[in-house]
Amino acid sequence: MESKSLDILICDDSILSRRQMKIMLTSITNCNIIEAENGEVAIEKYKKHKTDIVFLDLVMPVKDGITAAEELKKFDSDVYMIVASSVGTQQSIKKALTAGVKDFIQKPVDKTQLIRIVDAFLDWRN
Amino acid sequence: MYTKFFGNYLLNNGYITSEQLISALEVQGNYSIKLGVLAIHAGYMTSSQVEDVHITQTHNNKMFGEIAIEKGYLTQEQVDDLLKSQKPDYLVFSQTLNDLGYLDANHFEEAFNDYRKKYKLSKDDFSHSENKKLIDLIHTYYNITEDYLSNFFAQYLSILFNNIIRFIGKDFTPHPAKKVKIFPDGHRTYQKIIGEFPTISYYISDNNTLISFASRYAQEDFPEIDEYVEASVEDFLNLHNGLFITTMSNEFSIELFLEPPCSNTRLELNNDKDYYEIPITFSFGTVHFIVERTRTAQAV
Repeated sequence: MESKSLDILICDDSILSRRQMKIMLTSITNCNIIEAENGEVAIEKYKKHKTDIVFLDLVMPVKDGITAAEELKKFDSDVYMIVASSVGTQQSIKKALTAGVKDFIQKPVDKTQLIRIVDAFLDWRN
Repeated sequence: MYTKFFGNYLLNNGYITSEQLISALEVQGNYSIKLGVLAIHAGYMTSSQVEDVHITQTHNNKMFGEIAIEKGYLTQEQVDDLLKSQKPDYLVFSQTLNDLGYLDANHFEEAFNDYRKKYKLSKDDFSHSENKKLIDLIHTYYNITEDYLSNFFAQYLSILFNNIIRFIGKDFTPHPAKKVKIFPDGHRTYQKIIGEFPTISYYISDNNTLISFASRYAQEDFPEIDEYVEASVEDFLNLHNGLFITTMSNEFSIELFLEPPCSNTRLELNNDKDYYEIPITFSFGTVHFIVERTRTAQAV
């Protein structure tokens, strides 16, 4: 898709979801994947790596996705966040967008959705 | 979907044994021809359009034909044609039982007619899986009363069955619900739903069934229990409950919230609650889905 490698942070409490997203993303684009099992770990890792894209699950232990999104936005107003969750209620989508999330994809995540997200990120960056 | 309940009817009325049911489910799984395959064969859709519908289907609670019409791939007339050419599940089931020597066509027809009469179903209902009809069947099958909470329970079960078909497979039969005071032994995964319809949904099964269920969900061949197997069942429950609360929000304006799913954690039964077990037998084993209900509700 492009030669320069993308740094992508996947924050999801499910080890299976993280692995499946990692496999799909690495097949779509040249990227370096960083994983986090909850919102708190995601914030720590983002502060260290400042990744190009952050994928956030909503329902997670320790710190949920919305709270993490709010804190990440405060830390970096340019953070590019995408919610990937099984919960697609109007309220959760509204909260996520208010927290500064760029887009929302409903689980189970598939390759077509991820291609769309990566394309949108590249357009936004350019 | 109606054929799934019919399998249990045959079992409970002594037409077949549980071993024969499991064996027939296993064989039947190889016979079914999906609507997408028929649409390609008829020249109505391309394989990429079928794939697109399948992807969309994993994100909502709609049938293949419904989505294909919305996307402009098929017309209503074409869907009707395909449904006519698709051999209904009950006929495939009849053929399977007959081929295996478990139940001849005459006995099948007799049981099938009794079953349709009991649940007020026409033969067409077995060819079309309309959600409203499925909810009606669930109300009758599980003896669900028409109170406020019970309607949500029926929605919950309808979405559960649809998710099982989509993510695990069609080779299952649900058994009648029963109230339990202790949980069955086995691996436990549960998730709390908070809000106006608070509940906890549980997945319980033995280890071999757990591995098979997880392998199907993740589309990977897991040889033994590990963290990926546990995560697969947690993901299934989370996906199902997520779709349930999304449906409640979008269709009934009721906002519910999920807590993260947990595995194999001992959770004390609450004496103020009732617990209803919905055993579902697959060709690879039985999964006990358990739903917590507040005691004020009259029935299941």
